[in-house]
Amino acid sequence: MNVILNGKEFLLDKKISLNNFLITHNINTNNIVVEINGSIITKSLWDEYVLKENDKIEIVTAVGGG
Amino acid sequence: MSFLLNKKTYNSRLIIGSGKYKSFKQTKKALDASGAEIITVAIKRTNLGQETTQENLLDYINPNDYKILPNTAGCYSAKDAIRVSLLARELLGDSLLKLEVLADKHTLLPNENETFVAAKELVKLGFSIMVYTTDNIKLAKDLEEVGCISVMPLASPIGTGQGIVKPENIKKIIKNAKVPIIIDAGIGTASDATIAMEMGCDGVLLNSAIAMSDNPILMAEAMKYAVISGRKAFEAKRMGISDSAIPSSNKKDAIS
Repeated sequence: MNVILNGKEFLLDKKISLNNFLITHNINTNNIVVEINGSIITKSLWDEYVLKENDKIEIVTAVGGG
Repeated sequence: MSFLLNKKTYNSRLIIGSGKYKSFKQTKKALDASGAEIITVAIKRTNLGQETTQENLLDYINPNDYKILPNTAGCYSAKDAIRVSLLARELLGDSLLKLEVLADKHTLLPNENETFVAAKELVKLGFSIMVYTTDNIKLAKDLEEVGCISVMPLASPIGTGQGIVKPENIKKIIKNAKVPIIIDAGIGTASDATIAMEMGCDGVLLNSAIAMSDNPILMAEAMKYAVISGRKAFEAKRMGISDSAIPSSNKKDAIS
């Protein structure tokens, strides 16, 4: 199963929750927002959201800007 | 000196950006030297493959100590700006936003139509919008009328440091406005910020002028005083300009 994270393709060998996916990929979960297929997934739902084939995941944070 | 923005009183009329600094540490030092209470941030994709211990800007600039003003930098359409706005609100738990919709990557000038469309929609979605715009007098008023809480015309294009190119337009925008007018972009040095404040701008938003100077901490401090100085001069109301010289001392006590 493939998912796309911030424009890059990732191959998953089994069903996995969004939360476990973030942990497995060493993503600092403080100060981030996750959007899947254009909809924001609130932090409280990360555990119950199971990734699906071709999910387009965007992880954003605050960076320097004017 | 203080001013009211989105029902909150701020002591500093200077808003600074957090881009282009050498490190988060330098960003924080400049922020503190500037006395600014509001700092802008951009909302972008995280770097993947980073260590979970890698620092984040918000670890340095604590949202409990400063007002974090997220922007929609990098957006060229109303649709994209609205998407980024929703992400920003989720991240920071606040509806205050700097709306910025650009026309193209070269001029970095605001896209007037898309900015207006996005502003209207975001106000409906409950956002408090501070809108980056051109020095178009009519558009500035239209943005106020659709409910933006502050209108922020450019002095000159982003990152150019040219100062206020069309002061007559900015003056007219201020005269027409019922919401705070904040100069955003194009400030090059302290005197540019003072000029903006002397004209009657309610505040100044700048980034490169501090971050791209040789000594950002010192320039941050210069900007702090420049904005205070300009505001005091505006409140004091300057003397008139005369075509002929007028002596400073009284004529009748002259020795000869």
